[in-house]
Amino acid sequence: MKVSPENIIELSERPPRLGEQAPALGRRALVVGCLLLIAGLGLGFSGHHGLAHVLHAWLVGATFVLSIALGGLFFVILQHLTAAGWSVVLRRQAEMLASLIPWAAALFLPLVVVTLLGHAELYPWADHAWAAADPVVSKKIGYLNGIFFTIRMALYFVVWYELTRWFVRNSVAQDRDGDPQRTVRMRRSAAPGMLVFALTSTFFAFDALMSLDPHWFSTIFGVYFFAGCAVAVFSTLILGSLALERGPLQRIVTVEHYHDLGKWLFGMVFFWGYIAFSQYVLIWYADIPEETIWYKHRLHGGWQYVSALLLFGHLLVPFAGLLSRHVKRNRAALGFWAVYMLVLHLADLLWLVNPTIGGHGESEGMVFGLTDLLLWLGLAVTSFGVFILRAQNQPLIPARDPRLDESLGFENQ
Amino acid sequence: MSETRTFGIVAEYGDVDSVMAAARRIRDAGYRRWDVHTPFPVHGMDDAMGVRPTILPWITLGAGLSGLGLSILLQWWTNAHDYAFLISGKPLFSLPANIPVAFESTILFAAVTTFLLVFVLNGLPRFYHPLFRMAKFKKATDDRFFVAIEARDEKFDPGATRKLLESTGAASVEICEEPLDGQVLPGWVKFVGVLGITLAMIPLVVAYRARNAKTDTPRLHLVGDMDFQPKYKTQAASPLFADGRAMRPQVDGTIARGELRENQHLELGTVDGNFADGFPVAVTRELMERGRNRFDIYCSVCHGYGGQGDGPVALRAKELGEGAFVAPTDLTDDYVKKQPAGQIYATIRNGIRTMPSYAAQIPVADRWAIVLYLRALQRHSDASIADVPLEKREEIK
Repeated sequence: MKVSPENIIELSERPPRLGEQAPALGRRALVVGCLLLIAGLGLGFSGHHGLAHVLHAWLVGATFVLSIALGGLFFVILQHLTAAGWSVVLRRQAEMLASLIPWAAALFLPLVVVTLLGHAELYPWADHAWAAADPVVSKKIGYLNGIFFTIRMALYFVVWYELTRWFVRNSVAQDRDGDPQRTVRMRRSAAPGMLVFALTSTFFAFDALMSLDPHWFSTIFGVYFFAGCAVAVFSTLILGSLALERGPLQRIVTVEHYHDLGKWLFGMVFFWGYIAFSQYVLIWYADIPEETIWYKHRLHGGWQYVSALLLFGHLLVPFAGLLSRHVKRNRAALGFWAVYMLVLHLADLLWLVNPTIGGHGESEGMVFGLTDLLLWLGLAVTSFGVFILRAQNQPLIPARDPRLDESLGFENQ
Repeated sequence: MSETRTFGIVAEYGDVDSVMAAARRIRDAGYRRWDVHTPFPVHGMDDAMGVRPTILPWITLGAGLSGLGLSILLQWWTNAHDYAFLISGKPLFSLPANIPVAFESTILFAAVTTFLLVFVLNGLPRFYHPLFRMAKFKKATDDRFFVAIEARDEKFDPGATRKLLESTGAASVEICEEPLDGQVLPGWVKFVGVLGITLAMIPLVVAYRARNAKTDTPRLHLVGDMDFQPKYKTQAASPLFADGRAMRPQVDGTIARGELRENQHLELGTVDGNFADGFPVAVTRELMERGRNRFDIYCSVCHGYGGQGDGPVALRAKELGEGAFVAPTDLTDDYVKKQPAGQIYATIRNGIRTMPSYAAQIPVADRWAIVLYLRALQRHSDASIADVPLEKREEIK
């Protein structure tokens, strides 16, 4: 957009919002999503693995939604931390994604309740008798028990909710009062906020995903989960911008913003690969059974194909595909890679979670089917509906941010 | 003042918009050798000037891929091919172990190539430019914008080019002259260069001398970890143990691996205290070939490949006239031939006269292999034509 004082005033007085058809779309998504969930639950409970399969598929879908929301929170904090100008027109989208965190907490609630009640289908350590008898897990009971697990999960979501609320509330208030001091305050709180985010997301990954196999441990696992969050959020921001550019954000989001989002996506795809390989190579090199067992589960019984899919599909292919600047500046090409990476991100979560169906950290081979697809889709579509219904209350850009003109006129060299 | 020629025509502008508009018109007029000089980067100037995309990214990509390929090749060559070396029981050539080096090499090659190529493609370093002769041009780093069309452009015409620039709303249009000569490097630059290189040698010379010259003060230790290694040498004292010895004696009632000497014939070459005749191991062609291999490695330097006491060490000692040198035994001599196999074995194991024990270098099985090969050498030394197979006799006549 050609930046002029008139444009900025126009934007701040009448900031772009979602169209009138948005609430209907949101409600329709909720209905469709619920139907998909009912179908998925029905199919899952009648299946061979019953509750175990439903819980694992639910965990994958809920983590997928949460990873986008956490990625949005990360994006918001990062933009304030670096006082970034280019991203201002995208920040509200990320703030709205981060606002999904209470909804994600609701999605995790059934998993936490089931675990607290002592059902060990998802987390084997929830079976007290087994945990106490296991020579390794018995040493971890102080940490891996239903009550402490529930407290920690509550803590993570409360911390994330408060972080989100602080940044979103200030940003939305600035839409009304245009106070530049809010930008300064948010920048000051960004550094401690990032620290808190890093710690909570790391321990969330340990608790929710790594403890599926309570024998196994990897200190880099939290970073691995974070890399997935980053890939997911940049893909989502690209798709969100593409959708909104057809309507309210026309001429506000430009090819320059896609170029930068593309750079981020490319960088995070490779970062994910870097972290995934760092985890693999140390375990491969040390070759200690208590560590290699985790990869053994994922290199046998059908999972080896998913492993290969991740190596090629989540790293090498998109690396080559996103390398060129022409791809990053081409809306159709970048949109394709964004959808593609979201699908591969789901495959990554599937690969983390489903091999532990079989109980007590053992693998039963490839358990994957329509149940998973229905539940993932149901959770994603209902979350999309919640997102739309919440997003319609706010302008789609922080219209009185002091760096709005910088973002509107932003150009890559 | 020396002779000059026209370098080009320079137009001066007061703001970004007019220099952008001028750049578009000059681009559309088809000029190729011209440039815009601004005090800060101007977004969109590349487009306005019609600058073609640089080939740098492709060369960076190529350099990165070269780094990737070469580092994989290097790791295969060094670890799996030229000097196969087993580490941690991993395959000799195994990608997971190679990826960190390949990753770093890819980045190193790409980054260094890009860094250097940016200089090359921009024609740097360049110490002089004709535009520097214009007093006004200093403003290009402050608040003025300049367009310079060079005289070597094919479309350049003193009149028409000047008119074009004037029509773009330039604040001023001037001809820039450049001297025909005087573009050689001044003598003092060369002097400073040579002096600088010479001075840069001094630390190296000092370090080299300090490590090689004889002195009664302690040496410079540039690589401390190399000079002072955290290890105990033979017979050194250690505060770690009650008896103060770093070397640990054998624990009572134990036998070290490979030192259980049950079979006297095999281990010592004796039977009931006398040297044994005959071999305690199976005599095979493979054993003899192994013996030849070991003999050529360990024994031939003194005794010679034929065992006749004419190895390179013996020949060299003879050449130098070393009076005190005890010549190596001719192993094909009758008195060695008459020795029982066990005695030759014991000689290898224990040493004799000035010959040291080879027990540390040569394991038991190899000692017997050498004895066997030595028997073959001795047999060979008094062979006659009758020993040669019938069909081969013609060849050696």
